Amino acid sequence: MWNKPWTYREGTAIVAGLLVVGAMLQLTVGPIDWNLMAWPVNIIVAMVLTGAVVTGNVMRKRSYMLRFASSRHAAVPVLIVTAVATAIYGVTNMRETLSCWPFVLLYLWMDIIVGLVTCKHLKPSLRNMCITASHAGLFIALTAATLGSADMQRLKMQVNSDQPEWRATDDNDKVHELDLAISLNHFTIDEYPPKLVVIDNETGKTLPTDKPQSLVLEDSVTEGDIMGYHIKTKRLHDYAAQVATKDTINYVAWGYNGATTAALVDVTKGGKTLASGEWVSNGSFMFPYKGLRLNDKHSLVMPEREPKRYASDVTIYTKSGLKENAVIEVNKPYNIEGWKVYQLSYDETMGRWSKTSVLELVKDPWLPCVYTGIGLLIIGAILMFLTAGRKEEDNK
Amino acid sequence: MIHISWDNFLAFALISVALWALGAYCAWRDSRKAALTSTIAGIAVFMAFIVGLWISLERPPLRTMGETRLWYAFFLPVAGLAVYSRWRYKWILSFSTLMSIVFICVNIFKPDIHNKTLMPALQSPWFAPHVIVYMFCYAIMGAATLMAIAALLGDKIKIKGKSFDGSLIQHPVNNLVNIGLAFMTLGMLMGALWAKEAWGHYWAWDPKETWAAATWLLYLAYIHIGNAPQGTIPRKKYYLLIVAFLCLQMCWWGINYLPSAQAGSVHTYSIS
Repeated sequence: MWNKPWTYREGTAIVAGLLVVGAMLQLTVGPIDWNLMAWPVNIIVAMVLTGAVVTGNVMRKRSYMLRFASSRHAAVPVLIVTAVATAIYGVTNMRETLSCWPFVLLYLWMDIIVGLVTCKHLKPSLRNMCITASHAGLFIALTAATLGSADMQRLKMQVNSDQPEWRATDDNDKVHELDLAISLNHFTIDEYPPKLVVIDNETGKTLPTDKPQSLVLEDSVTEGDIMGYHIKTKRLHDYAAQVATKDTINYVAWGYNGATTAALVDVTKGGKTLASGEWVSNGSFMFPYKGLRLNDKHSLVMPEREPKRYASDVTIYTKSGLKENAVIEVNKPYNIEGWKVYQLSYDETMGRWSKTSVLELVKDPWLPCVYTGIGLLIIGAILMFLTAGRKEEDNK
Repeated sequence: MIHISWDNFLAFALISVALWALGAYCAWRDSRKAALTSTIAGIAVFMAFIVGLWISLERPPLRTMGETRLWYAFFLPVAGLAVYSRWRYKWILSFSTLMSIVFICVNIFKPDIHNKTLMPALQSPWFAPHVIVYMFCYAIMGAATLMAIAALLGDKIKIKGKSFDGSLIQHPVNNLVNIGLAFMTLGMLMGALWAKEAWGHYWAWDPKETWAAATWLLYLAYIHIGNAPQGTIPRKKYYLLIVAFLCLQMCWWGINYLPSAQAGSVHTYSIS
């Protein structure tokens, strides 16, 4: 061992050494506090790291270690061990892993190797372009994403229709006052059509357990079979109110705050009528839900309707005097003054009648840097696809 | 208007499989043109079903495991066709057809819940390219893994009395992994860009993302290992390829059964 030329054995030994050092740091210094990386510490660290990598490349002729660091014999062991460490994290799913020294040192060593390889291959040829783009992209994305995480702000803001809100809370429920205020003009939910399912009276589980079935009441669908029950819908109210008559419960069309969905059904099984003209409803904050008991074992119920789309029509005011109207929905955040505003949630107890919308505000000043890295990685991947098969013998 | 649903799947699948089998047979008989035509025809029929289902569901069929298996069954013959037309391996079409049949059978005998709803987070232009690119990558990696296993088994496989020479397939396996890895990288990055739009962050160490990273690193390790000398079989490298593919399975569906992921993965849609 350690006789030149070094091979995978030495590469593995370096990784093992890093793990030992990491374990010792973990025991003495304790876990890494990423908050310490907040601006301007992170930009200094990024510059030092990049500077070290560039200097390392300049010095490569003088140091065998530096030449070795950009070889496959250094790369493969760290890739495999990092993959294993990542998989372990994938099983345990403990967030603490991310501030664990051995885990972070593995990624750091990988990052340094990737940086050195980038410098080494900065030469104009298609194959070098593919290598440079991939490695530079990974180096930039990994470095910026890790160091920049301390500068990222993610805040939750609950907006109501009555007044503008400028306070938002972070993960620790600490209140932040922002340079912008948001007021909710209107909140809308579009829902998927209602459906009927048969449940087990005891467990409440949708049947059949291994492959739950449902009858979706949409367009022209008015009847169908579940578990041998033939269900026929005679009437369907998208917006209904529950009205109690002398001896029964009835539903009438009613389009106001708190309306529920209700279906009038007939149920037969093997020609035998189990229910004729009975109502089933999924309820709302105003009306209780109503199921239909078919027999001792089964009931017919209407589950809560799934939201198809929900959106907040808002007005955003900034301290600099901007006033902008925006519709924010899932997958369609709104950009304003460095913030991305996301639709996060709503008052679920009120369902489609929610008067509140929960927004998430995210500021990530390092995003352009990370996206540059991602862009280079995409170019690298495309070049890799285009050049696959061409480099048959070019593998030293 | 014709309404294509899962009820029509059996008919489309039978026609496609018949055409693919014919293509595979023609490949063995060295009728290259017939093999290509028949395979392409089978792919077209299968594609017609996917497009029809897409239209009648009013959303891309990419949500449930059953629907992603559909794409896998589609891309395997596509990958097989690509390999066959480029490197002319007679056996690859039989391989891809057989693998595709497995996925088709799973869909026929153990179908998922097929419903129409698509939660808001999935309603994005990124959805289709992200999953389709990944499915194509899975299919290619599957083909590469099968070739590696065949090479490892070596003389135990007899084709027409002759034992299979595993030492000749090093370059095609490497090429497949390179192409697969290019697609895997694209799929992962598209996922990151989409996640930024949908969930506010491009990388959240969600269990699926974590396993995707581990898988990606293993394939990266594979492509960084040097080639074995001509005429030999790089056994350790192929073992790594098999482990990487197992990791890929974990990422694809294994995590649905992992307690840590069920607790709060944003990626488990089909299990409720």
